[in-house]
Amino acid sequence: MTLRRREFLGALAAGALLFGCAGDEDPAVAPDADVLAPLLAGEQAAVAALAGLAGATAIRDQDRRHAARLRTVLAGLGDRRAGAPASDPEPAGQRKQQNVYDYVAALPRLADPDLRVMVMELLASEAEHLAALRLATGEDPVPDAFAGFTPPLT
Amino acid sequence: MSEITLRIEGRYRRETTDAGRLRTTLHVEEVAALAYATAAERVLDGEERVVATRFAGHEREHSDAVMTMILALALEVRRHAVEKDVDNLMPGFGSLGPRETLAALLELETAAIAGQQALGRQLANLDALRTVAMVMAGGAQHVVVLRDLLGDRPLTNLY
Repeated sequence: MTLRRREFLGALAAGALLFGCAGDEDPAVAPDADVLAPLLAGEQAAVAALAGLAGATAIRDQDRRHAARLRTVLAGLGDRRAGAPASDPEPAGQRKQQNVYDYVAALPRLADPDLRVMVMELLASEAEHLAALRLATGEDPVPDAFAGFTPPLT
Repeated sequence: MSEITLRIEGRYRRETTDAGRLRTTLHVEEVAALAYATAAERVLDGEERVVATRFAGHEREHSDAVMTMILALALEVRRHAVEKDVDNLMPGFGSLGPRETLAALLELETAAIAGQQALGRQLANLDALRTVAMVMAGGAQHVVVLRDLLGDRPLTNLY
């Protein structure tokens, strides 16, 4: 087992133990809309990052639909933030990786279980997009087992 | 819905506790590791064999991560998957040709992802859910590669 892997597994265990000890005080829970709004911004940034990228039309279309889904849910929560596309688009792969991180980080902050399922669904799609973009450019589509959470040593 | 999907869905449906659901996730990941290894040894060649061997390693990492979470929560693991569990979850897998083998692995990954997504609603321990999410995201990336090997389009799902 590599050092990186041991560190990763150790962090998982520590997280579980901390979670288990946190029962005495209820942490302040952000309203679900506050958790979802940055995810909408991430999807819009992905649409901007993919503009003009050869072979990325289907992925961009899926991102538009992710954004529409998030916008509908936010509206249902009474949140009318429309979000705004990034003015200076990032490289598409970098944006997609950040979206994967952001979806995973959002999960334990969401109070509504149905919204957690939605985030799991959007996360799976974003992880797929990342692999497909790498495949299209001849890179290793799956360089680690956890969609970027355990990057291989270089 | 085919047999693999039905069996994985059935296993998750029977469980009513976090412990049971996490054990099911562990079992499916362990079966996936065995199935990829079997496919690489038995029927796949060339690039497909390289991919299956690598993904078997990924699935073992997924199993280790879920196992670590289970132990950290002081839950018991009663047994680990063995070769016959592959046939229980994927009937007839051992006699499939190369293309059908890849298709069965794709169905296994897809059904595993569906089961893990439903845990978003079911798991009380949200730290465990985050670990499941990382495992699921890794599985989703496998789906893209398997679809590409099979020539399926589009490569990605909307979910």
